[in-house]
Amino acid sequence: MDKLIQEEKRVFMTGNEAVAWAAVAAGAEIMNGYPITPQNEIMHYWTRLAPKFNKKFLQTEDELSAGFTTIGSVLGGKKAFSATAGPGTTLFQEPLSMAEMMRIPMVLVVQQRGGPSTATVIYSQQEVNMVTFGGNGEGWRIVYSTSSHQELYDYTIKAFDMAWKYRFPAIILGDGYQAKMRESLLMYNPEERGIELVQPEAFVGKPGLPGRDRPASHLRNAFSVEEELFDAAMSIQREYDQMASEIIEADQQQIEDAQLVIVAHGVVSRAAVAAMNRLRAKGLKVGYFRPITLRPFPEKQLQAVAASCNNFLLVESALGQLARLFKEALFNVPVKTFQTIYKPGVGITAEEIVEYIEALG
Amino acid sequence: MAKLIKIAIAGEGGQGVQSIGDILAEAGNEEGKEALYIPNFGIEQRGGVSLAFVQISEEQIGSPKFQSADIVIALSERAVARTLQYVTKDTLFVYDSSLIAPPEVVDEVIGLQAYDTVAPEAQAGKIGRKAKSGHGELPENAKRLIGIPATAVAQQELHPRVFNMIILGATVRAAGIVEMKTIEKALESKLGKKFTDNPKLRELNFSALQKGVQLMDAALREEGQA
Repeated sequence: MDKLIQEEKRVFMTGNEAVAWAAVAAGAEIMNGYPITPQNEIMHYWTRLAPKFNKKFLQTEDELSAGFTTIGSVLGGKKAFSATAGPGTTLFQEPLSMAEMMRIPMVLVVQQRGGPSTATVIYSQQEVNMVTFGGNGEGWRIVYSTSSHQELYDYTIKAFDMAWKYRFPAIILGDGYQAKMRESLLMYNPEERGIELVQPEAFVGKPGLPGRDRPASHLRNAFSVEEELFDAAMSIQREYDQMASEIIEADQQQIEDAQLVIVAHGVVSRAAVAAMNRLRAKGLKVGYFRPITLRPFPEKQLQAVAASCNNFLLVESALGQLARLFKEALFNVPVKTFQTIYKPGVGITAEEIVEYIEALG
Repeated sequence: MAKLIKIAIAGEGGQGVQSIGDILAEAGNEEGKEALYIPNFGIEQRGGVSLAFVQISEEQIGSPKFQSADIVIALSERAVARTLQYVTKDTLFVYDSSLIAPPEVVDEVIGLQAYDTVAPEAQAGKIGRKAKSGHGELPENAKRLIGIPATAVAQQELHPRVFNMIILGATVRAAGIVEMKTIEKALESKLGKKFTDNPKLRELNFSALQKGVQLMDAALREEGQA
Protein backbone atom coordinates (compact mmCIF):
# COMPACT_ATOMS: atom_id res chain seq x y z
CA MET A 1 0.00 0.00 0.00
CA ASP A 2 1.19 3.51 -0.81
CA LYS A 3 2.47 5.66 1.95
CA LEU A 4 0.03 8.53 2.34
CA ILE A 5 2.46 11.39 2.39
CA GLN A 6 6.02 10.85 1.21
CA GLU A 7 7.30 13.86 3.11
CA GLU A 8 5.81 16.84 4.90
CA LYS A 9 4.54 19.22 2.30
CA ARG A 10 2.73 22.49 1.97
CA VAL A 11 -0.45 22.11 -0.03
CA PHE A 12 -3.14 24.50 -1.22
CA MET A 13 -6.63 23.03 -1.11
CA THR A 14 -10.18 23.29 0.21
CA GLY A 15 -11.00 22.44 3.82
CA ASN A 16 -13.10 19.47 2.75
CA GLU A 17 -10.13 18.03 0.90
CA ALA A 18 -7.91 18.62 3.95
CA VAL A 19 -10.37 16.67 6.13
CA ALA A 20 -10.39 13.70 3.75
CA TRP A 21 -6.59 13.57 3.73
CA ALA A 22 -6.49 13.91 7.52
CA ALA A 23 -8.91 11.02 7.94
CA VAL A 24 -6.64 8.84 5.83
CA ALA A 25 -3.61 10.03 7.80
CA ALA A 26 -5.42 9.24 11.07
CA GLY A 27 -5.92 5.65 9.96
CA ALA A 28 -9.66 5.81 9.33
CA GLU A 29 -10.76 2.69 7.51
CA ILE A 30 -14.30 3.47 6.42
CA MET A 31 -16.53 6.46 5.90
CA ASN A 32 -20.28 5.99 6.08
CA GLY A 33 -21.90 9.04 4.61
CA TYR A 34 -24.85 10.78 3.13
CA PRO A 35 -24.36 13.87 0.95
CA ILE A 36 -25.20 17.37 2.10
CA THR A 37 -23.72 20.74 1.21
CA PRO A 38 -21.25 22.08 2.26
CA GLN A 39 -19.52 18.85 3.29
CA ASN A 40 -20.02 16.87 0.05
CA GLU A 41 -16.41 17.09 -1.08
CA ILE A 42 -15.24 15.27 2.06
CA MET A 43 -17.10 12.27 0.66
CA HIS A 44 -15.90 12.95 -2.86
CA TYR A 45 -12.25 13.17 -1.90
CA TRP A 46 -12.53 10.21 0.46
CA THR A 47 -13.96 8.06 -2.33
CA ARG A 48 -11.04 9.08 -4.53
CA LEU A 49 -8.47 8.33 -1.84
CA ALA A 50 -10.11 5.22 -0.37
CA PRO A 51 -9.32 2.71 -3.16
CA LYS A 52 -5.67 3.80 -3.24
CA PHE A 53 -5.24 3.08 0.44
CA ASN A 54 -7.42 0.00 0.72
CA LYS A 55 -10.18 1.82 2.58
CA LYS A 56 -13.93 1.65 2.25
CA PHE A 57 -16.91 3.88 1.69
CA LEU A 58 -20.58 3.23 2.29
CA GLN A 59 -23.25 5.62 1.08
CA THR A 60 -26.36 5.22 3.18
CA GLU A 61 -29.95 6.29 2.60
CA ASP A 62 -29.87 9.12 5.13
CA GLU A 63 -27.93 10.54 8.07
CA LEU A 64 -29.57 8.32 10.68
CA SER A 65 -28.27 5.36 8.78
CA ALA A 66 -24.88 7.00 8.21
CA GLY A 67 -24.56 7.42 11.98
CA PHE A 68 -25.70 3.93 12.92
CA THR A 69 -23.58 2.22 10.25
CA THR A 70 -20.62 4.20 11.55
CA ILE A 71 -21.34 2.73 14.99
CA GLY A 72 -21.67 -0.70 13.39
CA SER A 73 -18.29 -0.34 11.70
CA VAL A 74 -16.74 0.67 15.01
CA LEU A 75 -18.31 -2.28 16.86
CA GLY A 76 -16.74 -4.50 14.24
CA GLY A 77 -13.32 -3.05 15.01
CA LYS A 78 -12.93 -0.40 12.31
CA LYS A 79 -11.94 3.22 12.66
CA ALA A 80 -15.01 4.79 11.11
CA PHE A 81 -16.25 8.31 10.57
CA SER A 82 -18.85 10.41 8.84
CA ALA A 83 -19.47 14.02 7.85
CA THR A 84 -22.59 16.12 7.72
CA ALA A 85 -24.17 19.56 8.13
CA GLY A 86 -27.37 21.35 9.11
CA PRO A 87 -30.44 19.11 9.06
CA GLY A 88 -28.05 16.16 8.75
CA THR A 89 -26.52 17.09 12.10
CA THR A 90 -30.04 17.00 13.54
CA LEU A 91 -30.52 13.41 12.38
CA PHE A 92 -27.09 12.49 13.68
CA GLN A 93 -28.15 13.23 17.25
CA GLU A 94 -29.73 9.82 17.62
CA PRO A 95 -26.67 7.75 16.71
CA LEU A 96 -24.48 10.20 18.66
CA SER A 97 -26.63 9.66 21.77
CA MET A 98 -26.29 5.93 21.35
CA ALA A 99 -22.52 6.27 21.06
CA GLU A 100 -22.51 8.34 24.26
CA MET A 101 -24.55 5.81 26.19
CA MET A 102 -22.71 2.76 24.90
CA ARG A 103 -19.30 4.45 24.98
CA ILE A 104 -18.65 3.92 21.29
CA PRO A 105 -15.91 6.05 19.78
CA MET A 106 -16.72 7.71 16.48
CA VAL A 107 -15.74 10.83 14.56
CA LEU A 108 -18.20 13.17 12.91
CA VAL A 109 -17.14 16.20 10.87
CA VAL A 110 -19.76 18.95 10.84
CA GLN A 111 -19.44 21.78 8.29
CA GLN A 112 -22.02 24.21 9.62
CA ARG A 113 -24.55 25.73 7.24
CA GLY A 114 -27.35 28.17 7.94
CA GLY A 115 -30.30 27.12 10.09
CA PRO A 116 -32.91 26.29 11.22
CA SER A 117 -34.07 23.64 8.76
CA THR A 118 -32.80 23.87 5.16
CA ALA A 119 -31.92 27.58 5.51
CA THR A 120 -28.70 28.16 3.52
CA VAL A 121 -26.10 25.75 2.21
CA ILE A 122 -23.44 28.36 2.81
CA TYR A 123 -22.23 29.12 6.31
CA SER A 124 -23.10 29.70 9.96
CA GLN A 125 -22.10 28.98 13.53
CA GLN A 126 -25.61 27.88 14.38
CA GLU A 127 -24.87 24.23 15.08
CA VAL A 128 -23.08 24.86 18.36
CA ASN A 129 -26.10 24.01 20.54
CA MET A 130 -26.65 20.84 18.59
CA VAL A 131 -23.09 19.51 18.54
CA THR A 132 -22.49 20.27 22.21
CA PHE A 133 -25.75 19.23 23.84
CA GLY A 134 -27.95 17.75 21.11
CA GLY A 135 -29.69 14.45 21.63
CA ASN A 136 -31.36 13.12 24.75
CA GLY A 137 -28.57 13.06 27.25
CA GLU A 138 -25.82 15.01 28.95
CA GLY A 139 -23.53 16.11 26.14
CA TRP A 140 -20.89 13.43 26.59
CA ARG A 141 -18.95 14.31 23.49
CA ILE A 142 -15.78 16.00 22.44
CA VAL A 143 -16.18 19.03 20.15
CA TYR A 144 -13.22 20.74 18.48
CA SER A 145 -14.05 24.04 16.78
CA THR A 146 -11.41 24.66 14.10
CA SER A 147 -10.42 27.95 12.49
CA SER A 148 -8.08 27.07 9.61
CA HIS A 149 -7.19 24.30 7.22
CA GLN A 150 -4.16 23.44 9.32
CA GLU A 151 -6.43 22.96 12.30
CA LEU A 152 -8.92 20.93 10.27
CA TYR A 153 -6.04 18.59 9.47
CA ASP A 154 -4.49 18.55 12.97
CA TYR A 155 -7.74 18.20 14.90
CA THR A 156 -9.26 15.59 12.61
CA ILE A 157 -6.27 13.40 13.41
CA LYS A 158 -6.58 14.29 17.09
CA ALA A 159 -10.34 13.63 17.13
CA PHE A 160 -9.78 10.02 16.11
CA ASP A 161 -7.19 9.57 18.81
CA MET A 162 -9.23 11.17 21.56
CA ALA A 163 -12.43 9.34 20.59
CA TRP A 164 -10.72 5.96 20.62
CA LYS A 165 -8.66 6.70 23.70
CA TYR A 166 -11.57 7.88 25.86
CA ARG A 167 -14.44 6.16 24.06
CA PHE A 168 -16.60 9.21 23.52
CA PRO A 169 -17.85 10.45 20.14
CA ALA A 170 -15.71 13.30 18.81
CA ILE A 171 -16.92 16.07 16.53
CA ILE A 172 -14.90 18.37 14.31
CA LEU A 173 -16.90 21.56 14.05
CA GLY A 174 -16.07 23.46 10.87
CA ASP A 175 -18.30 25.56 8.65
CA GLY A 176 -19.12 26.20 5.01
CA TYR A 177 -16.38 28.81 4.68
CA GLN A 178 -13.72 26.45 5.98
CA ALA A 179 -15.19 23.69 3.84
CA LYS A 180 -15.12 25.60 0.56
CA MET A 181 -12.29 28.08 0.79
CA ARG A 182 -8.78 27.29 -0.37
CA GLU A 183 -5.70 28.08 1.69
CA SER A 184 -2.40 26.49 2.51
CA LEU A 185 -1.60 23.87 5.12
CA LEU A 186 1.19 21.48 5.96
CA MET A 187 0.33 17.81 5.56
CA TYR A 188 2.28 15.17 7.44
CA ASN A 189 2.20 11.59 8.58
CA PRO A 190 1.24 11.75 12.27
CA GLU A 191 3.51 8.84 13.21
CA GLU A 192 6.52 10.67 11.82
CA ARG A 193 5.77 13.49 14.21
CA GLY A 194 5.66 11.10 17.13
CA ILE A 195 1.87 11.02 17.32
CA GLU A 196 0.96 7.50 18.31
CA LEU A 197 -2.30 6.53 16.64
CA VAL A 198 -4.63 4.56 18.90
CA GLN A 199 -5.41 1.22 17.28
CA PRO A 200 -9.06 0.19 17.17
CA GLU A 201 -10.28 -3.19 18.34
CA ALA A 202 -13.54 -4.99 17.87
CA PHE A 203 -16.16 -4.37 20.56
CA VAL A 204 -18.20 -7.44 19.72
CA GLY A 205 -17.64 -10.79 18.06
CA LYS A 206 -14.24 -11.40 19.57
CA PRO A 207 -12.99 -14.99 19.64
CA GLY A 208 -13.79 -17.26 22.61
CA LEU A 209 -16.88 -17.86 24.68
CA PRO A 210 -17.95 -14.71 26.56
CA GLY A 211 -17.85 -15.22 30.31
CA ARG A 212 -15.56 -18.23 30.06
CA ASP A 213 -12.68 -17.40 27.70
CA ARG A 214 -13.01 -13.64 27.94
CA PRO A 215 -15.13 -11.03 29.71
CA ALA A 216 -18.45 -10.46 27.99
CA SER A 217 -18.84 -7.23 26.02
CA HIS A 218 -21.75 -5.51 27.65
CA LEU A 219 -22.68 -2.42 25.70
CA ARG A 220 -25.96 -1.06 26.96
CA ASN A 221 -28.22 1.71 25.89
CA ALA A 222 -31.32 0.35 27.65
CA PHE A 223 -31.92 -0.07 31.37
CA SER A 224 -34.90 -1.55 33.12
CA VAL A 225 -34.45 0.11 36.51
CA GLU A 226 -33.97 3.80 37.29
CA GLU A 227 -31.11 3.16 39.70
CA GLU A 228 -29.24 1.18 37.09
CA LEU A 229 -29.29 4.14 34.74
CA PHE A 230 -28.32 6.43 37.61
CA ASP A 231 -25.22 4.34 38.33
CA ALA A 232 -24.30 4.20 34.65
CA ALA A 233 -24.82 7.92 34.15
CA MET A 234 -22.79 8.88 37.21
CA SER A 235 -19.98 6.62 36.21
CA ILE A 236 -19.87 7.98 32.64
CA GLN A 237 -19.99 11.54 33.96
CA ARG A 238 -17.02 10.84 36.26
CA GLU A 239 -15.01 9.52 33.34
CA TYR A 240 -16.06 12.44 31.19
CA ASP A 241 -14.94 14.91 33.87
CA GLN A 242 -11.66 13.12 34.26
CA MET A 243 -11.09 13.24 30.52
CA ALA A 244 -12.05 16.92 30.42
CA SER A 245 -9.02 18.05 32.39
CA GLU A 246 -6.79 16.20 29.94
CA ILE A 247 -8.23 17.37 26.63
CA ILE A 248 -9.57 20.88 27.13
CA GLU A 249 -7.99 23.46 24.81
CA ALA A 250 -8.27 27.21 24.48
CA ASP A 251 -6.31 29.97 22.83
CA GLN A 252 -5.77 33.44 24.23
CA GLN A 253 -3.64 36.47 23.42
CA GLN A 254 -2.78 39.80 25.02
CA ILE A 255 -4.92 39.23 28.11
CA GLU A 256 -2.45 40.62 30.68
CA ASP A 257 -3.14 44.33 30.17
CA ALA A 258 -6.39 44.01 28.21
CA GLN A 259 -9.27 46.35 28.95
CA LEU A 260 -11.58 44.48 26.60
CA VAL A 261 -11.48 40.82 25.56
CA ILE A 262 -12.96 39.66 22.27
CA VAL A 263 -14.44 36.15 22.54
CA ALA A 264 -15.01 34.08 19.42
CA HIS A 265 -14.66 30.51 18.18
CA GLY A 266 -14.00 28.79 14.88
CA VAL A 267 -13.40 30.81 11.75
CA VAL A 268 -14.69 34.00 13.41
CA SER A 269 -11.71 33.90 15.78
CA ARG A 270 -9.51 34.80 12.81
CA ALA A 271 -11.41 38.07 12.48
CA ALA A 272 -11.11 38.55 16.25
CA VAL A 273 -7.31 38.16 16.18
CA ALA A 274 -6.96 40.45 13.16
CA ALA A 275 -9.18 43.05 14.86
CA MET A 276 -7.15 42.79 18.07
CA ASN A 277 -3.90 43.33 16.16
CA ARG A 278 -5.25 46.37 14.32
CA LEU A 279 -6.61 47.90 17.51
CA ARG A 280 -3.38 47.19 19.40
CA ALA A 281 -1.50 48.99 16.62
CA LYS A 282 -3.69 52.00 17.42
CA GLY A 283 -2.91 51.71 21.10
CA LEU A 284 -6.15 50.14 22.28
CA LYS A 285 -5.68 47.46 24.93
CA VAL A 286 -7.68 44.61 23.45
CA GLY A 287 -7.23 40.90 24.12
CA TYR A 288 -8.73 37.76 22.70
CA PHE A 289 -10.04 34.43 24.00
CA ARG A 290 -11.11 31.44 21.98
CA PRO A 291 -12.39 28.08 23.19
CA ILE A 292 -11.04 25.33 20.92
CA THR A 293 -12.91 22.55 22.69
CA LEU A 294 -16.56 23.65 22.95
CA ARG A 295 -17.26 20.38 24.80
CA PRO A 296 -15.77 20.07 27.33
CA PHE A 297 -15.65 23.87 27.62
CA PRO A 298 -12.49 25.58 28.93
CA GLU A 299 -14.27 27.05 31.96
CA LYS A 300 -11.22 27.49 34.18
CA GLN A 301 -9.26 29.18 31.41
CA LEU A 302 -12.12 31.61 30.78
CA GLN A 303 -12.54 32.28 34.50
CA ALA A 304 -8.84 33.13 34.73
CA VAL A 305 -9.31 35.60 31.87
CA ALA A 306 -12.31 37.14 33.65
CA ALA A 307 -10.22 37.54 36.80
CA SER A 308 -7.82 39.68 34.76
CA CYS A 309 -10.29 41.56 32.54
CA ASN A 310 -14.04 41.39 32.84
CA ASN A 311 -15.16 43.46 29.88
CA PHE A 312 -16.15 41.19 27.03
CA LEU A 313 -17.23 41.49 23.42
CA LEU A 314 -18.55 38.15 22.17
CA VAL A 315 -18.75 37.71 18.43
CA GLU A 316 -20.46 34.83 16.61
CA SER A 317 -22.35 33.94 13.43
CA ALA A 318 -25.34 32.80 15.50
CA LEU A 319 -27.78 34.34 17.96
CA GLY A 320 -26.03 33.56 21.23
CA GLN A 321 -25.07 29.89 21.00
CA LEU A 322 -21.46 30.44 22.02
CA ALA A 323 -22.75 33.05 24.46
CA ARG A 324 -24.76 30.36 26.25
CA LEU A 325 -21.62 28.29 26.87
CA PHE A 326 -19.74 31.44 27.85
CA LYS A 327 -22.35 32.49 30.42
CA GLU A 328 -22.51 29.05 31.96
CA ALA A 329 -18.74 29.00 32.35
CA LEU A 330 -18.83 32.37 34.12
CA PHE A 331 -21.76 31.62 36.41
CA ASN A 332 -21.30 33.58 39.62
CA VAL A 333 -18.19 35.30 38.24
CA PRO A 334 -18.50 39.07 38.16
CA VAL A 335 -18.60 40.46 34.61
CA LYS A 336 -18.61 44.24 34.24
CA THR A 337 -19.65 44.62 30.62
CA PHE A 338 -20.85 42.03 28.14
CA GLN A 339 -21.51 43.09 24.57
CA THR A 340 -22.21 41.04 21.49
CA ILE A 341 -22.11 41.03 17.72
CA TYR A 342 -24.53 38.32 16.63
CA LYS A 343 -24.83 37.66 12.90
CA PRO A 344 -26.74 34.42 12.39
CA GLY A 345 -25.65 32.68 9.21
CA VAL A 346 -23.36 35.49 8.05
CA GLY A 347 -19.59 35.87 8.23
CA ILE A 348 -17.95 38.42 10.51
CA THR A 349 -14.96 40.45 9.40
CA ALA A 350 -12.14 42.10 11.31
CA GLU A 351 -13.25 45.46 9.91
CA GLU A 352 -16.63 45.42 11.60
CA ILE A 353 -15.21 44.28 14.94
CA VAL A 354 -12.70 47.15 14.74
CA GLU A 355 -15.48 49.58 13.81
CA TYR A 356 -17.66 48.36 16.68
CA ILE A 357 -14.91 48.68 19.28
CA GLU A 358 -13.77 52.08 18.02
CA ALA A 359 -17.34 53.31 18.27
CA LEU A 360 -17.34 52.39 21.96
CA GLY A 361 -14.90 55.25 22.45
CA MET B 1 1.82 46.34 8.62
CA ALA B 2 2.48 43.55 6.15
CA LYS B 3 1.08 43.93 2.69
CA LEU B 4 -2.37 42.41 2.35
CA ILE B 5 -4.34 42.72 -0.84
CA LYS B 6 -8.07 42.03 -1.03
CA ILE B 7 -9.65 41.41 -4.41
CA ALA B 8 -13.34 40.86 -5.18
CA ILE B 9 -14.21 39.56 -8.64
CA ALA B 10 -17.81 39.44 -9.82
CA GLY B 11 -19.50 38.50 -13.05
CA GLU B 12 -22.21 36.45 -14.67
CA GLY B 13 -22.16 32.70 -14.11
CA GLY B 14 -19.96 31.20 -16.79
CA GLN B 15 -17.67 34.21 -17.25
CA GLY B 16 -14.94 32.35 -15.43
CA VAL B 17 -14.91 34.48 -12.31
CA GLN B 18 -14.10 31.56 -10.02
CA SER B 19 -11.24 30.44 -12.21
CA ILE B 20 -9.69 33.90 -12.02
CA GLY B 21 -9.94 33.86 -8.23
CA ASP B 22 -8.65 30.35 -7.93
CA ILE B 23 -5.62 30.84 -10.19
CA LEU B 24 -4.74 34.14 -8.56
CA ALA B 25 -4.73 32.56 -5.09
CA GLU B 26 -2.91 29.49 -6.31
CA ALA B 27 -0.16 31.70 -7.72
CA GLY B 28 0.07 33.63 -4.44
CA ASN B 29 0.49 30.37 -2.57
CA GLU B 30 3.04 29.18 -5.10
CA GLU B 31 5.17 32.23 -4.28
CA GLY B 32 5.17 31.25 -0.61
CA LYS B 33 2.67 33.89 0.43
CA GLU B 34 -0.49 33.32 2.42
CA ALA B 35 -3.40 33.11 0.01
CA LEU B 36 -7.08 32.54 0.55
CA TYR B 37 -9.79 32.14 -2.06
CA ILE B 38 -13.48 31.59 -1.38
CA PRO B 39 -16.39 31.58 -3.81
CA ASN B 40 -19.82 32.83 -2.94
CA PHE B 41 -21.74 29.65 -3.40
CA GLY B 42 -25.46 29.05 -3.28
CA ILE B 43 -27.90 26.38 -4.37
CA GLU B 44 -28.29 27.41 -8.03
CA GLN B 45 -26.62 25.53 -10.82
CA ARG B 46 -26.46 28.48 -13.18
CA GLY B 47 -27.48 32.12 -13.47
CA GLY B 48 -27.00 34.94 -11.03
CA VAL B 49 -23.92 36.90 -10.10
CA SER B 50 -20.86 34.82 -9.32
CA LEU B 51 -18.49 36.33 -6.78
CA ALA B 52 -14.96 35.33 -5.80
CA PHE B 53 -13.02 36.69 -2.82
CA VAL B 54 -9.22 36.52 -2.94
CA GLN B 55 -6.72 37.66 -0.33
CA ILE B 56 -2.96 37.45 -0.64
CA SER B 57 -0.70 38.48 2.19
CA GLU B 58 2.69 38.02 3.82
CA GLU B 59 0.96 36.99 7.04
CA GLN B 60 -1.89 34.80 8.26
CA ILE B 61 -5.14 36.00 6.73
CA GLY B 62 -8.16 36.89 8.88
CA SER B 63 -11.76 36.26 7.89
CA PRO B 64 -12.30 34.59 4.50
CA LYS B 65 -14.60 37.34 3.26
CA PHE B 66 -14.14 41.07 3.68
CA GLN B 67 -16.15 44.27 3.59
CA SER B 68 -13.88 46.51 1.61
CA ALA B 69 -11.73 45.50 -1.33
CA ASP B 70 -8.48 46.99 -2.60
CA ILE B 71 -9.47 45.93 -6.08
CA VAL B 72 -12.96 45.20 -7.38
CA ILE B 73 -13.35 43.56 -10.78
CA ALA B 74 -16.94 43.80 -12.09
CA LEU B 75 -17.66 42.05 -15.35
CA SER B 76 -21.35 42.75 -15.93
CA GLU B 77 -23.91 45.40 -15.09
CA ARG B 78 -25.39 43.29 -12.34
CA ALA B 79 -21.91 42.59 -11.06
CA VAL B 80 -21.29 46.33 -10.79
CA ALA B 81 -24.38 46.73 -8.63
CA ARG B 82 -23.49 43.69 -6.61
CA THR B 83 -19.97 44.88 -5.77
CA LEU B 84 -20.67 48.50 -4.81
CA GLN B 85 -20.71 47.50 -1.18
CA TYR B 86 -17.02 46.51 -1.34
CA VAL B 87 -15.92 49.88 -2.74
CA THR B 88 -14.28 52.52 -0.55
CA LYS B 89 -12.24 55.60 -1.29
CA ASP B 90 -9.17 53.35 -1.49
CA THR B 91 -10.61 50.91 -4.01
CA LEU B 92 -9.45 50.44 -7.57
CA PHE B 93 -12.65 49.62 -9.45
CA VAL B 94 -12.16 47.75 -12.72
CA TYR B 95 -15.06 47.08 -15.06
CA ASP B 96 -15.55 45.83 -18.57
CA SER B 97 -16.07 48.97 -20.61
CA SER B 98 -17.19 47.08 -23.72
CA LEU B 99 -20.07 45.60 -21.85
CA ILE B 100 -23.57 46.56 -22.77
CA ALA B 101 -25.36 43.26 -22.38
CA PRO B 102 -24.02 40.29 -20.46
CA PRO B 103 -21.53 38.55 -22.75
CA GLU B 104 -22.14 35.30 -24.51
CA VAL B 105 -21.23 32.59 -22.12
CA VAL B 106 -19.04 29.69 -23.04
CA ASP B 107 -19.56 27.33 -20.18
CA GLU B 108 -16.03 26.03 -20.07
CA VAL B 109 -14.80 26.54 -16.55
CA ILE B 110 -12.00 25.21 -14.53
CA GLY B 111 -12.75 23.69 -11.16
CA LEU B 112 -15.54 24.91 -8.97
CA GLN B 113 -18.10 27.24 -10.45
CA ALA B 114 -20.66 28.74 -8.19
CA TYR B 115 -23.29 31.41 -8.22
CA ASP B 116 -24.99 33.70 -5.90
CA THR B 117 -28.55 34.90 -5.50
CA VAL B 118 -29.21 37.75 -3.13
CA ALA B 119 -26.53 39.56 -1.24
CA PRO B 120 -26.82 38.62 2.42
CA GLU B 121 -24.41 41.38 3.34
CA ALA B 122 -26.94 44.08 2.58
CA GLN B 123 -29.31 42.89 5.28
CA ALA B 124 -26.65 41.66 7.64
CA GLY B 125 -24.73 44.89 7.20
CA LYS B 126 -27.45 46.70 9.09
CA ILE B 127 -26.06 45.26 12.27
CA GLY B 128 -23.33 47.52 13.49
CA ARG B 129 -22.74 48.97 10.03
CA LYS B 130 -24.60 51.14 7.59
CA ALA B 131 -26.11 49.24 4.70
CA LYS B 132 -25.23 50.31 1.20
CA SER B 133 -27.59 50.09 -1.70
CA GLY B 134 -26.81 48.94 -5.22
CA HIS B 135 -28.26 50.72 -8.25
CA GLY B 136 -26.24 49.48 -11.23
CA GLU B 137 -24.27 52.68 -11.78
CA LEU B 138 -20.51 52.87 -11.46
CA PRO B 139 -19.38 53.77 -7.96
CA GLU B 140 -18.70 57.42 -7.27
CA ASN B 141 -16.57 56.84 -4.22
CA ALA B 142 -13.83 54.65 -5.69
CA LYS B 143 -10.23 55.81 -5.73
CA ARG B 144 -10.04 55.05 -9.43
CA LEU B 145 -12.36 53.71 -12.09
CA ILE B 146 -10.75 51.73 -14.84
CA GLY B 147 -12.61 50.45 -17.88
CA ILE B 148 -11.09 47.56 -19.80
CA PRO B 149 -12.69 46.54 -23.12
CA ALA B 150 -12.09 42.87 -22.37
CA THR B 151 -15.21 41.43 -23.99
CA ALA B 152 -14.63 43.32 -27.23
CA VAL B 153 -10.95 42.44 -27.36
CA ALA B 154 -11.65 38.80 -26.61
CA GLN B 155 -14.23 38.59 -29.38
CA GLN B 156 -12.39 40.61 -32.01
CA GLU B 157 -8.75 39.79 -31.42
CA LEU B 158 -8.60 36.48 -29.58
CA HIS B 159 -11.46 34.19 -28.65
CA PRO B 160 -14.48 34.74 -26.35
CA ARG B 161 -13.27 31.76 -24.38
CA VAL B 162 -10.21 33.54 -23.03
CA PHE B 163 -12.15 36.56 -21.82
CA ASN B 164 -11.36 35.69 -18.23
CA MET B 165 -7.63 35.36 -18.99
CA ILE B 166 -7.62 38.96 -20.21
CA ILE B 167 -9.25 39.94 -16.94
CA LEU B 168 -6.76 37.84 -14.99
CA GLY B 169 -3.84 39.53 -16.78
CA ALA B 170 -5.30 42.96 -16.06
CA THR B 171 -5.85 42.02 -12.40
CA VAL B 172 -2.30 40.75 -11.98
CA ARG B 173 -0.96 44.00 -13.45
CA ALA B 174 -3.18 46.11 -11.18
CA ALA B 175 -2.53 44.13 -8.00
CA GLY B 176 1.22 43.77 -8.51
CA ILE B 177 1.42 41.09 -5.86
CA VAL B 178 2.22 38.01 -7.94
CA GLU B 179 4.55 37.46 -10.90
CA MET B 180 3.07 36.70 -14.30
CA LYS B 181 5.43 33.73 -14.49
CA THR B 182 3.73 32.19 -11.47
CA ILE B 183 0.31 32.77 -12.99
CA GLU B 184 1.43 30.96 -16.11
CA LYS B 185 2.78 28.15 -13.98
CA ALA B 186 -0.52 27.85 -12.08
CA LEU B 187 -2.37 27.84 -15.37
CA GLU B 188 -0.04 25.20 -16.68
CA SER B 189 -0.75 22.95 -13.69
CA LYS B 190 -4.50 23.44 -14.08
CA LEU B 191 -4.72 23.05 -17.85
CA GLY B 192 -1.53 21.12 -18.52
CA LYS B 193 -3.25 18.22 -20.21
CA LYS B 194 -5.40 20.42 -22.42
CA PHE B 195 -2.31 22.41 -23.35
CA THR B 196 -0.43 19.28 -24.32
CA ASP B 197 -3.35 18.08 -26.42
CA ASN B 198 -3.70 21.43 -28.07
CA PRO B 199 -0.63 23.70 -27.84
CA LYS B 200 -2.55 26.50 -29.55
CA LEU B 201 -4.71 26.70 -26.44
CA ARG B 202 -1.65 27.55 -24.36
CA GLU B 203 -0.65 30.23 -26.81
CA LEU B 204 -4.16 31.64 -26.81
CA ASN B 205 -4.37 31.74 -23.03
CA PHE B 206 -0.94 33.27 -22.57
CA SER B 207 -1.52 35.95 -25.20
CA ALA B 208 -4.83 36.76 -23.51
CA LEU B 209 -2.96 37.22 -20.23
CA GLN B 210 -0.48 39.54 -21.96
CA LYS B 211 -3.32 41.44 -23.60
CA GLY B 212 -4.86 41.97 -20.19
CA VAL B 213 -1.58 43.34 -18.86
CA GLN B 214 -1.30 45.71 -21.83
CA LEU B 215 -4.87 46.95 -21.47
CA MET B 216 -4.38 47.64 -17.77
CA ASP B 217 -1.03 49.26 -18.48
CA ALA B 218 -2.59 51.57 -21.02
CA ALA B 219 -5.50 52.41 -18.73
CA LEU B 220 -3.20 53.22 -15.84
CA ARG B 221 -0.93 55.29 -18.08
CA GLU B 222 -3.91 57.23 -19.38
CA GLU B 223 -4.47 58.37 -15.86
CA GLY B 224 -0.80 59.19 -15.58
CA GLN B 225 -0.35 56.91 -12.65
CA ALA B 226 1.48 53.91 -14.02
